[in-house]
Amino acid sequence: MNSSQDPAPPVLVNIDSQAEQALAKQRQFKSYLFNLLCLMIAMLSVVVLVVLLASIGFKGFSSIDQTFLTQSHDPQDPEKAGMYPSIVGSLLVCLLCALTALPIGIGSAIYLEEFRPRHPILRAIHGFLQLNISNLAGVPSIVYGLLGLTVFVYMFQLFGKLEQNKVSGLDFWGVRRYYQLLSLDRSSTVLIPLTDPQQTTIKVTGPTTGFDSNERAIEILVWDRDQPKPTDPAVLARTVKRNAIGGLLELRAWYYFRLPLGSSFLAAGLTLALVILPIIVISSQEALRAVPSSLREASLGLGSTQWQTVRGVTLPAALPGVLTGAILAMGRAIGEAAPIFVVLGGGIAKRSGPENLMDTCVTMPILIFGWAKNPVERYQQLAAGAIIVLLIMLLLMNSVAIYLRQRMHQFSG
Amino acid sequence: MILTLPEQLPLPNVLANKKFRSTTTSQFSEKIMVALLAMCSLLTIATSLAIVFMLVKESWNFFSSSHVSFTEFLFGTRWTALTERDISRVDFGIWPLLSGTIRVTSIAMLIALPLGLMTAIYLSEFASPKIRAILKPILEILAGIPTVVLGYFAILLISPALQVISPTFDTFNATSAGIAVGILCLPMVCSLSEDALSAVPRSLREGVYGLGGTRLDTSIKVVMPAALSGIISAFLLAFSRAIGETMVVALAAGTAANFSFDPRLQSQTMTGFIVDMMKSELEYGTVQYYSLFGVAITLFVITFAMTVLGQLIRRRYRESY
Repeated sequence: MNSSQDPAPPVLVNIDSQAEQALAKQRQFKSYLFNLLCLMIAMLSVVVLVVLLASIGFKGFSSIDQTFLTQSHDPQDPEKAGMYPSIVGSLLVCLLCALTALPIGIGSAIYLEEFRPRHPILRAIHGFLQLNISNLAGVPSIVYGLLGLTVFVYMFQLFGKLEQNKVSGLDFWGVRRYYQLLSLDRSSTVLIPLTDPQQTTIKVTGPTTGFDSNERAIEILVWDRDQPKPTDPAVLARTVKRNAIGGLLELRAWYYFRLPLGSSFLAAGLTLALVILPIIVISSQEALRAVPSSLREASLGLGSTQWQTVRGVTLPAALPGVLTGAILAMGRAIGEAAPIFVVLGGGIAKRSGPENLMDTCVTMPILIFGWAKNPVERYQQLAAGAIIVLLIMLLLMNSVAIYLRQRMHQFSG
Repeated sequence: MILTLPEQLPLPNVLANKKFRSTTTSQFSEKIMVALLAMCSLLTIATSLAIVFMLVKESWNFFSSSHVSFTEFLFGTRWTALTERDISRVDFGIWPLLSGTIRVTSIAMLIALPLGLMTAIYLSEFASPKIRAILKPILEILAGIPTVVLGYFAILLISPALQVISPTFDTFNATSAGIAVGILCLPMVCSLSEDALSAVPRSLREGVYGLGGTRLDTSIKVVMPAALSGIISAFLLAFSRAIGETMVVALAAGTAANFSFDPRLQSQTMTGFIVDMMKSELEYGTVQYYSLFGVAITLFVITFAMTVLGQLIRRRYRESY
């Protein structure tokens, strides 16, 4: 029944093939141009990265030497300034941050991914938890800084206010307090145990018992101005003037702990842990989701409980992904400046790394910020040098992450 | 056909010598572990609650002060918390800080949104696997650069370059900070939009090619509209990130709170003010100190609204195939 006389539809008859071809070429040309435009824009980010690294490298290369890596900030002489305390500080803060944020983050990722409840109310709570984590990831880091300031540094002033040269807060362990007095030989001091925490100075009126500067018990003698000075240096070292005034001295062990935490590296590390917690949860969740459900089902089919499945099957399978996310989050933590600035106050003059849990510290981003704010040209160069060190550390961490990711691909493939 | 089990048959050796763990113990430890894990995730809720509680409680100290009126805070155009020492003459109007944030953020978005989106389109529609293999890690490196480094880059290179172009730019200005924040947001816009674009199924693209469409037609007329909800949510997330960005503006945008929309001027933003306040020697407990939290709660409300809106759009308007 095929009628060959049927005319073709007018659209196809009236076709001007040359015009159509020209149009097609034009459209293809347009597409090609768009492709080029996109390529150029995409290459722009490469250019930006190269310019950024080159300019900072050029500026800061000359300032990296041994002094720079072993000394501390010097407000007078930039030639003698270095970044050693900040490297130690950054590493310790990050370690603390990893120790707290990783278990909690991975734990809640496991709970959210692997233990989905069946009860409708619990499921609603579950959904809310998930939404809450995405929202936390969007909170500006400086708000976390303020959270750290009120919750960790001041603790809503529940334990009183911390004050300089006063006994304040609630001590737990690791501190011994003395009144410190200069002895007669002018080079050593004697210590008298603190009796009244409200009284931060003491006036010595008579002989008493106390300690020498190495905390060995000694008898402290008193010398009056009108008497001859003792000649024996050992006696001289434990003699003080009558009515000499001593100030408060705190000897803190490394495990010294008190509440509120104050502007300590403990507070900084915990604040930073809060900042990266949502990042760790989200990346661990993705890693867990990527584990094929057949593995879980096989394990459950063999009679394991859910937790046994997670511990023995799911978590090991997801581990490379979890670790990659964790390392990337640590990279974020080590470069994060705003929350630490709010918690620690941005001082960069510290000469060593943190010496006890309640000690303040400098981190690399804070040091870079402090130097970059300084108009002296040499400090600007130092800032660039510190940036190079920071970027090299980040690069090392990221290469570990990339290596792990490659391992992961091998595992799943 | 009744199957009777042989009763006296001994267990096979493998099973007889095996020490079976009691199911009760496993179930008990299961319960403990679930409780522990649930506690971990409840901690994230506690964090949110603590943020809200902290902001409300501390900013209440600010808003309830007799020197502050809420309407002046919302509509006032003078902010002198750091420059004026006499508390009775301090003005607390948020607009200078807000205008600073708006200036920096708009410039950042002008850079990050189009460039990020175009890069994403290139990566998902045009790029050969070879170029992708180079571009993706570079974008990841760019995304991993600490913000304080970009702030330094802004004062090292962007500001002097702008002053060469036009001497009317201040040493610290909104434009250089905005450009640096834009560089910061670009990888984020790019990777989120690319996720949205590559979630569009292949069949849609093949349909366009089958009808004779070019790659341009495919990407602009079909793939992009199909991925629109994801792209918009990426934009909103980047916007919220730019508003909350701190170290770049603290370094490059200056410390003067101007109420103006001139991008060449110094502009203290909301986050910049928080940093400058932390650096100043104002005592804990003064009204100026608590103004910190008034600014912070404004910042939090804006970014929170952006994030929630972005998630709503992504969930509600997602085209499902």
